[in-house]
Amino acid sequence: MDLINPHVVDLSRFQFAMTALYHFMFVPLTLGLTFLVAAIETVYVITGRRIYRDMAKFWGHLFAINFALGVATGLTMEFEFGTNWSMYSHFFGDMFGTPLAIEGLMAFFMESTFIGLMVFGWDRLSRPAHLAITFLVAVGSNLSALWILIANAGMNVPAGTHFDPDTMRMQFQSFVELVFSEDAQAKFVHTSVAGYVCAAMLIMGISAFYLLRGRHRELALRSFRIATLFGLISSVAVITLGDVLGRMDYAKQPTKIAAIEGLWHTSNPPYAPWAAFALPDDAKQENHFEIGIPFVLTPLITHSFTQPITGMHELEDQAAPRIRSGIVAINALKHYGDTHSSADLATFRAHEDDMGFGFLAMRHSPNQDTSAITEADLERVVHQTQPDILPNVFATFWAFRIMVALGGFFFIFFAFSTFFSLRNQLESNRWLLHIAVWAIPLPVMATEFGWITAEAGRQPWTVFNRLPTFLSSSSHTVGYMTFSLIGFILLYSALIVAEFYLMFRYARRGPQDHTSHDTTLSGLHNAQGGHF
Amino acid sequence: MTAYVILKLLWTGILGFLLSALGLMVGMDMGVGTLLRFVGRTDPERRTMLNIIGPHWDGNQVWFVLGGGAIFAAFPSLYGTSFSIFYVVMILLLFSMILRPVAFEYRSKVENKHWRAGWDVAFLISGFVPMFVFGAAFGNVLQGVGYHFLWTGQYIQDESFWSYLLNPFAILCGLMSVALSVQQGGAMLMLRAEEPIYSRAKQYSSLGGLVAAILFVIGGVWMHSMKGFMLTAPVDPNMPANPLHGQHVAMVKGAWLTHFTAHPLLWLIPIIGTVCMVASSFCLRRDHVGLAWWLGAGSWIGTIGTIGAAMFPFLMPSSTAPDQSLSTWNATGSAYGLTAMLVVSSIFIPIILSYTSWCYHVMRGRVSVHDVINSHDSY
Amino acid sequence: MFARFPALLKLAGLGAALVIALLFAVFVGDQGPWYFAWVVGTVMIVLISATGAVLFEAQNSEEHDKNKETQP
Repeated sequence: MDLINPHVVDLSRFQFAMTALYHFMFVPLTLGLTFLVAAIETVYVITGRRIYRDMAKFWGHLFAINFALGVATGLTMEFEFGTNWSMYSHFFGDMFGTPLAIEGLMAFFMESTFIGLMVFGWDRLSRPAHLAITFLVAVGSNLSALWILIANAGMNVPAGTHFDPDTMRMQFQSFVELVFSEDAQAKFVHTSVAGYVCAAMLIMGISAFYLLRGRHRELALRSFRIATLFGLISSVAVITLGDVLGRMDYAKQPTKIAAIEGLWHTSNPPYAPWAAFALPDDAKQENHFEIGIPFVLTPLITHSFTQPITGMHELEDQAAPRIRSGIVAINALKHYGDTHSSADLATFRAHEDDMGFGFLAMRHSPNQDTSAITEADLERVVHQTQPDILPNVFATFWAFRIMVALGGFFFIFFAFSTFFSLRNQLESNRWLLHIAVWAIPLPVMATEFGWITAEAGRQPWTVFNRLPTFLSSSSHTVGYMTFSLIGFILLYSALIVAEFYLMFRYARRGPQDHTSHDTTLSGLHNAQGGHF
Repeated sequence: MTAYVILKLLWTGILGFLLSALGLMVGMDMGVGTLLRFVGRTDPERRTMLNIIGPHWDGNQVWFVLGGGAIFAAFPSLYGTSFSIFYVVMILLLFSMILRPVAFEYRSKVENKHWRAGWDVAFLISGFVPMFVFGAAFGNVLQGVGYHFLWTGQYIQDESFWSYLLNPFAILCGLMSVALSVQQGGAMLMLRAEEPIYSRAKQYSSLGGLVAAILFVIGGVWMHSMKGFMLTAPVDPNMPANPLHGQHVAMVKGAWLTHFTAHPLLWLIPIIGTVCMVASSFCLRRDHVGLAWWLGAGSWIGTIGTIGAAMFPFLMPSSTAPDQSLSTWNATGSAYGLTAMLVVSSIFIPIILSYTSWCYHVMRGRVSVHDVINSHDSY
Repeated sequence: MFARFPALLKLAGLGAALVIALLFAVFVGDQGPWYFAWVVGTVMIVLISATGAVLFEAQNSEEHDKNKETQP
């Protein structure tokens, strides 16, 4: 009775990951496409050449198609915390809900109001005014990324919040600490700029497709030029910020960085090799096969030649006393709920920092109740809980490597593209154009693997070192979860088919078929004028 | 009264306002979706209907998102518990809401009869289901929902979801909410469309208001014989937000009417609501559409206000563990969180309102069926 | 006097925007170095890629001129 069913937790995780990854196929594109369109429109305003106006409209329309699905799938994300992670919402919502609500107030309204003007307002606004609107849409979409990443950073490195035993939750205490935490800053810039790369690749790919077919040459050559420069600088920024995030994880999330590097034993600087290839085995807690490059790991992560990186076995050893102390904290906390005695509170305060590890031990306690652990049983519980502090090493290790490899490829590819584009030799280097077409989905894949690295690497916590994932989910039945999962899979599959059908159709048709009807259209937008 | 108590009361008021605004603004779009296949008989007619709310739906959808976000931030435990307890219904609501933006964007992009007919059904579903669920949720909450909390703060559900769907009172509330949305959606169509859409919309919307009024009165009478909730001992409004301690609650027949007997002035709220619904239908019949629209707003405020007046301070009472009922006093965020949200919203809501109205100003002018058919990019 | 008013208002508006931008830059540069980097970096990325297009036009017209010279 009242026990947590691990299958329900796993199904909830699967559903969240599926819907988040799906949502994240559309979001990065919108982050970058808006600024790219703004760049194109800037050229239009400066030079006054009509082709740039056509370009801005064409790519802007592609953005609008994408935006609809981003909005639709974003609804799921906003509601899923409540429908599937009730304990998490209760425990962390006081802090976590705030950036989410601000996201709506500050970003969603801005985007969805101005996107109408951006698409329909060409003939109603002066050129600079329309450009300003385009920039506002771009800033709006990036602000929404900002707030959701501030919230996400709060899960990874809780800042500006403290635990309150009277309400049994993390209470919000500092807005400034939350918003300006280092982790939030670096995560936002990394993700936003990764979105720029996605958009640059999409525009280059479609332009390359036209060039290969010899269609829309004027539009394609110019678009390619703008996008490749945009992508080149962005890819450098993505790599820089990725490095910053690595160092931050090293300081604040040692389990994540150890899993990313497949590091079972503490490294010995400076020789410690960086595993370029390995097959980590989570059950046996070792790597089956490893190709390492010596002297790379230490400077890569720590930017020094002397600091060691703690391995996963050592992290498990360090966790043992924290688990024991955490069990004391949880028992005191539970008791405090009934008695409200100051003695219990004092005990809890003494062990508060290890509270999360006590929650983690619940899983292996008799009836998931830490107060039922006997003296004789304690070491068994501690021993079984120790490996639980690690994320899935195989997934984290490989997701990270795929992301990094793709990131490196983008940089090289953008460098070549920029070189040939600046020399106007694109059309004589058809191999490059072919790569560009096939590379369209790659940046989106890279961002998805980036999400997996960050969030799989955060496990077993939803609030790092505070609340374990297995406690966070709602107490549903397997039946409920099966129902919603099947529904999501059917609905999302149908949507993706429709989306790709429309996107491909639109891209194939090209800009000519999209001659504008703004004058008539802008009339539509008025149905509401002055009524409310 | 401490600052924290004032914050709790303020946010309960804001919650009521948000729910009314949501019912009104989102309901209007949903009503048009529900009516799409009944009022629009040809494809151009249906496209005209869609383009009438075309500029709205995006912004209105954001009110919906904001509603979710505001409950999350200001009432975290209520958000987590209520959304999870109504899981199956919430998921159905989500699915139908997801269909909406996509249906708008995709429907008219392809000229195929079956494609468009398919999306028309999607509009019907995404108009009817969310409004029904919205109303039914109130019906269930009024009867109390079966749940209790563990010491960690985790909720445990004590009832099957079928009892939330196959529940006569909830169905009544759901239908009333749909009726109000049909009335409001029809009024919107009458404001913007020409014949023959106008006359058809008139029939449906004036009927909607009357049906809503009848259901509302039946619901009120029903409340007499229904078990409500009441505090049996005074609570400390300043208590820490934790549903496990500090409240003593009993389920008593007719308890939802105790506030009305104690303060007879409160009867004005349901009376205003009913009068608005009937008067709105009357105005629609007499072609005073603008006035009818505002009376529709009054209907929503009267309905939500009545529920609020009956239930205060309860937000979602528990029928299996009444002492743990979520209320204004035990389900809000921390004082810091509530203050932060208050500051942020009082900065941004005026900004939002000003740029939204500026956009309307830029886009002013009238809509014409001719434009809808002849343009590539309209919905 | 009144005819000048809108111009003055515009000037005051621009001035206020400039002051706000400066204060914002000082505050963000202090509190959030990466946020600041994002603001500056994004502006830079947009401007550089726009310059790329302007360069494209320059190259184009140069080529055009060359073609004209060679085929009189």
